[in-house]
Amino acid sequence: MQFRVITRFIAILVFFLGFSMAGPLLVSFIYDDGSTRALLLSAGITSLTGIILFLFTKKPGDAHLNHRDGVFVVTLGWVMAGLFGTLPYLFSGTIPDFTNAYFESISGFTTTGASILTDIENLPKGILLWRSQTQWLGGMGIIVLSIAILPFLGIGGMQLYRAEIPSPVVDKLKPRISETAKTLWKVYLLITFVEILLLFAGGMPLFDSVCHAFCTMPTGGFSTKNASIAYFNSAYFDGVFVLFMLFAGINFSLHYKLIKGDVKIFGMDPECRVFLFLLALLTLIVTVNTYGPVYDSLTRAFRAAAFQVTSLLTTTGFVTSDYEKWPALSQQILLGCMFLGGMAGSTGGGMKTLRIMLLIRHGYQEIFRIIHPHAVTTVKLGGKPVPADILSSIWGFFILYIGLFIVATLVMASLGLDMKTALGSVAASIGNIGPGFGMVGPAKNYLLTPVFGKWILIFCMLLGRLEIYTVIVFLVPEFWRK
Amino acid sequence: MKIIIVGAGEVGFHIAQRLSEEGQDVVLIDKDPTNVKRINENLDVQAFLGSGTSHNLLKTSGIETADMLVAATDSDEVNLIACLLARNLNQYMLKVARVRNQEFLDQKDLFNQQSLDIDLLINPQSLMVKTILSIMEVPGASEVIDFVDGRVKLIGITIKKDSQFIDRRLLSFKDLEEKLLVGAIVRKNQVMIPRGNDTIQMDDLVYLVVRSDELNNMLKLFDIKEETLRRVLIIGAGQTGTALATALDKSKINAKIIDNNSKVCAELAAKLEHVIVINGDGGDKNLLREENIGDVDFMVAITGDEENNILISLLAKGLGAKRTITRVSKLSYIPLVSAIGIDTVVSPRLSAVRAILQYIRRGKVISVAPLKGEQAEAIEAEALETSDIVNSPLSKVKFPKGAIVGAIVRGENIIIPRGDSIVMPKDRLIIFALEKVIPKLEKLLTVKLEYF
Repeated sequence: MQFRVITRFIAILVFFLGFSMAGPLLVSFIYDDGSTRALLLSAGITSLTGIILFLFTKKPGDAHLNHRDGVFVVTLGWVMAGLFGTLPYLFSGTIPDFTNAYFESISGFTTTGASILTDIENLPKGILLWRSQTQWLGGMGIIVLSIAILPFLGIGGMQLYRAEIPSPVVDKLKPRISETAKTLWKVYLLITFVEILLLFAGGMPLFDSVCHAFCTMPTGGFSTKNASIAYFNSAYFDGVFVLFMLFAGINFSLHYKLIKGDVKIFGMDPECRVFLFLLALLTLIVTVNTYGPVYDSLTRAFRAAAFQVTSLLTTTGFVTSDYEKWPALSQQILLGCMFLGGMAGSTGGGMKTLRIMLLIRHGYQEIFRIIHPHAVTTVKLGGKPVPADILSSIWGFFILYIGLFIVATLVMASLGLDMKTALGSVAASIGNIGPGFGMVGPAKNYLLTPVFGKWILIFCMLLGRLEIYTVIVFLVPEFWRK
Repeated sequence: MKIIIVGAGEVGFHIAQRLSEEGQDVVLIDKDPTNVKRINENLDVQAFLGSGTSHNLLKTSGIETADMLVAATDSDEVNLIACLLARNLNQYMLKVARVRNQEFLDQKDLFNQQSLDIDLLINPQSLMVKTILSIMEVPGASEVIDFVDGRVKLIGITIKKDSQFIDRRLLSFKDLEEKLLVGAIVRKNQVMIPRGNDTIQMDDLVYLVVRSDELNNMLKLFDIKEETLRRVLIIGAGQTGTALATALDKSKINAKIIDNNSKVCAELAAKLEHVIVINGDGGDKNLLREENIGDVDFMVAITGDEENNILISLLAKGLGAKRTITRVSKLSYIPLVSAIGIDTVVSPRLSAVRAILQYIRRGKVISVAPLKGEQAEAIEAEALETSDIVNSPLSKVKFPKGAIVGAIVRGENIIIPRGDSIVMPKDRLIIFALEKVIPKLEKLLTVKLEYF
């Protein structure tokens, strides 16, 4: 492990993070919300730490990050981002307790959207923007952003990119990895901007439009309102949010291809077809299921179902209705959505449509083999065979995901939480959704979770955002062996 | 510039590496998943799995916006078809193809604009034969590179322990000024561009810039006796070995070629007039002794197996062969090989890469030769009027550390520069530079080392 190169990279990352606090600082200055000093202090400390670390690590001669270094940089980078992200909360006194502040910060960066705050509306505007901004930065990835900005990473950038991007297969859009990262961020920026415009045009105040767009595109789910999206109670906003949550749940390389003029791409991509079909089907079932017992009009039921299914399937976590009051079938479907997640290469969490698709196809192949023992078959995706090593890595991912989910649920239950809460909080954290079930349901929050439980959930959020392998590898002794 | 490379074999991989390190956009196409995986892990380029002869794949790889196609697979046919498809998809792009089959190469009409329209043909084998022949011309040197149509030569010489130059500072070379210049020193596998205070040490490999008319005098200074090449022993009658033997067949040199495949030997014997063909194992001590290895001026080990070549060369050295030339493909082996006492290494990969890089950089930069595993380059460039380098003494020019002007060519004159030499516009310069200062050099020359 090349600690010098790693420290240097982390230093730059921390510096940029401090620099990015300038936005919230400016907002707090304009609104004079009383958090200016706290934000100034946070920005100063964070960028200074970056600069000092940078100056104290001499320039390494031949910086070639290998895969192991890449994994280390990414995980450490996220842990550090979470750490410095707590400063605005701590200094402003909005979240005085460190565990709570770290929970809120990591929940932001991992785009989970689980909150310990009870009265969000009374927070200073600068802090609110910082909270939304952590999600926005974490969505496309702080590391991917660094790759886009830093020119010198070269092939090391590829190792980092692979460790952060939420997909089993890495799809390069451009010959250079830094160009690929830049392109993704540009697409991300463009869609976010369009959403801000549409929200603003619908009458939402500019500040709320920016904050909500910052939390939709990364499938984050923080809101500036206590009641989340339900506060606005407007079909127009619901529609805009559903549309953009959907965009956020779709692979960003498809968006790029769409912008490049390939209009049929959503229909052509095999994963996208399954994702859209699944979304439509689940919305339909939930609509039918809630029409009658919960909603007396079919349009009301459809509006709520479409919003909640999209929100949970894309792992955003915005809420317009308390789904805990829905029939069991609908609740079960929403719980399932938390595991499915968005498409690979989107900003969504969960296990990703692509993995589920390939697992089912692989399963079917085994059944097929029983019928035709001598048949030569391969698992295909869009007519192309999927390499066996990708399939086995997906199986590994699946086992680890479910296994870690079970272990974490057991730990949560041992802390005295009821079954529904234990299950819901872990599923919502590892899937980066936010609102879960029971004590952490859509109408409540994570404040009352035990301290140790909060750290378990923080770990789960990181596991989910960095797709298990990148984080879990540190717990394996083999990693530390020379 | 966007470059598409078909075939990620040794040549394709290496060109991709070079170009991507220089900041070009490189797309590689290969049909072997393990190659594609290796590329994804080691290079910052976009790799596609599939055949270079697939119209659709070439299209997805973005050929319509590319500036150049390099077809470098092992198959001539694939390379030619890839170029043909490329021409169809993008008529403006440049096309470089690696072609080995002599029968194709003989058909000059095939490659002109009316038919295949290939801009540059590369034949690593014949490039390697050329390299070997030019090394044989200067028996004492481990490397010989021609500049300005051969009027200036760059020779690599290893300093022996009794050389008069050991411990001498380069500043003290007053008597040799304007005749000779040390452009680069390779010491313990590190290339350095020397300054006046540096000294020459034993076992250094020094690169000298010499006018070709002064060559023999200079070699004498370095204790390299002028000797005529009389006996050459080639081991391995593959394509390169055969081509080399055929070239030597016409000369007066007494050459032998050994191969362990009797069929190949029989075919070769039927073709050759003077060269003696021997069927046997090139690694067999007794056979080598029988063929008087001790009296051989040059032993050339060019079988397809590089590890074998290295061992054969060591064996031959031990048995008294004066000099050896060894074919090694893996670049990572090259520094090791000189450390264990092998004189000269030739690599088909390096030859092909050189040819392609020279071609890509044409324009103001006339030619480029990578030195020693590519840590440094010798560049031939034109001095522009707008450049800071002209019209003031070289010692006053802010030259980047790690670069040096090795020769100035003004019309018919060749000047080996001193501190007070002045570069005039339109002069051709031969510059030595470490890879990492090349961007600075580009700025100084104000010619961005232009691509096209």
